[in-house]
Amino acid sequence: MTHTSFFGGSTRRDFLVLLVMMLLGALVPSLLNRGLIFIAGLVWINAVFGLAFNLLFGLAGVLSFGQAMFFAAGAYAAAALMQQLGMPFVPALLLAGAVGALLAGAVGAVALRRSEGVYFAILTLAFAEMLHLLVANIGFLGKNDGLSGLARPVLTLPGMPGVGLDLTQGDRFYYFIVAACGGMIALIRWVVSTPFGRALQALKQDPQRAEFLGIPVRLHRLAIFVFAGTMTALAGALVAPWAQIVTPELAHWSNSTNPILYTLLGGSAYFWGPVLGAVLLSAVFYVTRTLAGISDLATGLLLLGVVLALPGGVLSLLDRWTGRPKDGERPQ
Amino acid sequence: MGHLHRRRVLQYGAAAASALALPGLTRAQGGPLKIGLITPLSGAQEFIGSYVRNGAEIAVAQLNNAGGILGRQVALEIRDDKANPAAALAAARELLGAGINLHIGGISSAVVLALAPVMQQEKGIFITCGAGTEKMNHEAYSPNLFRPGDSPDARGRAQARLMAEKYPNVTRWTGLIPDHEYGRTTWSIFVDGLLEFYPAIAKKKPEILDPVLMPYGVSDYRNAVTAALRQQADGCYNSTYGGDAITMFQQARGFGLMQRYKVICDSANEFLVARGLKQQLPAQWTGMHYYAAANKGNAMSDRFVADYLAKTKDPEPLGWAAEAHAAMYALAKAIEKGKSTDTAAVIGNLKGLTWDTVTGPRYMRPEDNQAVKDVELVFIEPANTEKGYAVSQYVKVDGKLVILPPAPGQKLKLRTA
Amino acid sequence: MLLSDVATLLVNSFTWAMATFLVAAGLTLVFGTLHILNFSHGGFFMIGAYVAFSLASALGGSDSIAVYLFGALAAGVAIALLGLVVDRLVLRRLAGVEDAYVLIATYALLLVCEGATKLVWGLKYQSVMPPPSLDGAWALGSVVVPRLSLFIIAAGVAVYVALEVFLNRTRSGRLVKAIAADPWMARLLGVNVRLVYTATVAIGFALAGLAGGLLVANQTLSPTLASAFVIYAFGVIIVGGMGSISGAFFGSILLGLIDAIGQWLLPGLPGLPFFVAMTLILLLRPQGLMGHAQ
Repeated sequence: MTHTSFFGGSTRRDFLVLLVMMLLGALVPSLLNRGLIFIAGLVWINAVFGLAFNLLFGLAGVLSFGQAMFFAAGAYAAAALMQQLGMPFVPALLLAGAVGALLAGAVGAVALRRSEGVYFAILTLAFAEMLHLLVANIGFLGKNDGLSGLARPVLTLPGMPGVGLDLTQGDRFYYFIVAACGGMIALIRWVVSTPFGRALQALKQDPQRAEFLGIPVRLHRLAIFVFAGTMTALAGALVAPWAQIVTPELAHWSNSTNPILYTLLGGSAYFWGPVLGAVLLSAVFYVTRTLAGISDLATGLLLLGVVLALPGGVLSLLDRWTGRPKDGERPQ
Repeated sequence: MGHLHRRRVLQYGAAAASALALPGLTRAQGGPLKIGLITPLSGAQEFIGSYVRNGAEIAVAQLNNAGGILGRQVALEIRDDKANPAAALAAARELLGAGINLHIGGISSAVVLALAPVMQQEKGIFITCGAGTEKMNHEAYSPNLFRPGDSPDARGRAQARLMAEKYPNVTRWTGLIPDHEYGRTTWSIFVDGLLEFYPAIAKKKPEILDPVLMPYGVSDYRNAVTAALRQQADGCYNSTYGGDAITMFQQARGFGLMQRYKVICDSANEFLVARGLKQQLPAQWTGMHYYAAANKGNAMSDRFVADYLAKTKDPEPLGWAAEAHAAMYALAKAIEKGKSTDTAAVIGNLKGLTWDTVTGPRYMRPEDNQAVKDVELVFIEPANTEKGYAVSQYVKVDGKLVILPPAPGQKLKLRTA
Repeated sequence: MLLSDVATLLVNSFTWAMATFLVAAGLTLVFGTLHILNFSHGGFFMIGAYVAFSLASALGGSDSIAVYLFGALAAGVAIALLGLVVDRLVLRRLAGVEDAYVLIATYALLLVCEGATKLVWGLKYQSVMPPPSLDGAWALGSVVVPRLSLFIIAAGVAVYVALEVFLNRTRSGRLVKAIAADPWMARLLGVNVRLVYTATVAIGFALAGLAGGLLVANQTLSPTLASAFVIYAFGVIIVGGMGSISGAFFGSILLGLIDAIGQWLLPGLPGLPFFVAMTLILLLRPQGLMGHAQ
């Protein structure tokens, strides 16, 4: 199995790119129609979903087929806390992230102990499917209808009931999504640049050597698994007020394939790969949205083409054009 | 519905913030009247969605031939909701943002429930063409949502009433119901009807057995079938649907389950199961949104069947096409009545509207935006023909006798055994 | 629970197990030899079923077991040929590629299968009636045993025996096993590994098509058929040990029993026992019941 190394790029450059993206993102509501704004919000969320996946896959070399369980856990936790328990949004969001962390800790502790590679991937698939079944069959989670009629929040400060940021009007919540996702992307990028992140790259290349060098391989994998699960859950939690409905499909195994698709399309060896992949795939679906029926065939052929012809993803094309070497580290 | 979700979820994240922006269209006062059609055109419900689309297009063609609405030609803006709430929301927001406030479509209950808040916030109207959730005119009621077709309580209770009339001696009833909201609710409604109509019409008390819960979206129903075999029931109510129902019937056949019942009553499969099973079909009653032969002589229905045949070569438009047709005509009449396409005006004119449809006149209750109409039930049997099945009886049950009183904002209350 | 209920549960669970094994056999064979987890296997199973359906329609229905079996065999051959094309165009290019890419490529192939099926056969639900001799049931005391169930069980066992004989007692079969274990050594010994790979792919796809044809009377035909079996087939081959036919066979029986007992005890959570069992087995024995430790 060939291992691709992970391109961090320069931290400063990437933060600049993030800033530009957020500025462009903030312009979206004034430029595009409502449907595209809704989709743009989902793209931001999916970008975080993909980045979290690639932390595991591209950075640490851990392939997980079950990331949908964290996404759904976050979405349902946020929805249930807000709707059933009346919790305000920000605490619900943070708690949803904590739920993701706990779930990832439990799954990771059990699964990483005993398996690697494809077996680990299938194990995560099994765990995710169990969560899917639970979520689709539990009464207070709405069974297969899910939880609907979720409200967009009004952000308040504790102890100051009069002061609030009303995000219920129009698409104001979109700005919150941009800010929140931007923050999460920054956090993920920062983690990549730390010694911890570099250790992960080392243990992806050669776990044995990493162990000899004193890097506790299993602990590191567990840590990144928990971190990725938390980020994924936070992203999922944003879906609850945005789409105003959460359904068991969020936990279905095909939602686990989404971040894999984004990552592979964009290029797993690049930090921005999953983000580009999320944008591109959404574009394809949007452009073909009125061509009903052929979309299955078209999507499949497109994906096949990319995987066979462009295994490094779209960003690897950029490398070819600028003559950069494919492997190797860049100075941080 | 496990295996059916994959397609939907693949498209859960849709479009891109690209320069392919649709310019925000201001509502053109003199141009064509655009009406949004949001319905599944891919994925598991694509088949039913195609009926909705055809029915809507025929209605639009007929209306335009007659001069349009308020003198304007009607144009449909069609979007694929993939039976998935996120895609439906994206489509709805796009159309609403482009100035289109009137929409029809939506067969999936999840889609309808997801669209309710958006329609209310953005001042749009959505008319469903066959969603079966009872929440729509109960706890999830919204003034911006309308159902021009059978409410689930009217349908189920009409079926129970028919059973009491035609099979007064069949008093032991069981159900084969999918283990989710829709399944459980349809069964509860049917039971409510049995409890009211058997004593009233057959002068007997019905015996309600525990229903057999069917897994859904799986490919093996044998254990559920054998559980049903252990019961001694005379009547069976089936609300498994589509491909699941066909698989269930196929596997039940080996056990001879269906032969044990004196009567089988199917909730809502129309001819889907019959067409799939052909000669394998166990004889059964089923509910239809619309049965063409039962409406022969109704000029609108005859024209609809003829136009449908011309357009699609299909001589038997299934109920969902008729629902879309009825939805368009309801809109047309409401707009004409108020001489306006503004949301508030149309809502006001849809409420309390009586309008002609392919099943005869329907009345839209103002309290909960639910239509009152005759419920059409047919008895299908296997036949030795190319088609494989034939309708040997049909019945129209007066909707007013069976629909429950309006209760917007409250959960549906039913009798229990 | 009465004895007859237990007997019925066993028969039903074996039926499910053999149906799943029929689908899983080709999948595990291809993985064991080429180390490719073919997500599209379910798609070719589906196309095989549709091919059998078309044949049955053309012949005016499957009037006898012979015709039914002929349809299944024809489906197997058709899909084997399709498999050769797929091997040429797609699978060969995936040699040495990372597992994740392979999975996505075969997933994309699944989408292509589904799209193609819709285009060729349309969206309507279809079904095939079993031939009269497989219709109905035998009553053994108070236990009702449908003939179709027995047929499926017999078919599963027959395919298992045939595969075991092929892999363990024929020269070509043992060659396949040798290459699965150590392709490098096999090459050194002058074996045309490429040819054996291609043959294995053909057999794997043939098994998918055959399964489709044998099971065509078991469930409805629709373009979503592929997804119905995929995840269960995956579970079974993982539990059995990837690459092991015996593992898939006994794994499906085990999981079938667990699932059936689960349905009886926990009807509100269908399918949960299957995944719980799968997880536990994997944790206790990650290489599967009969797999080789990596």
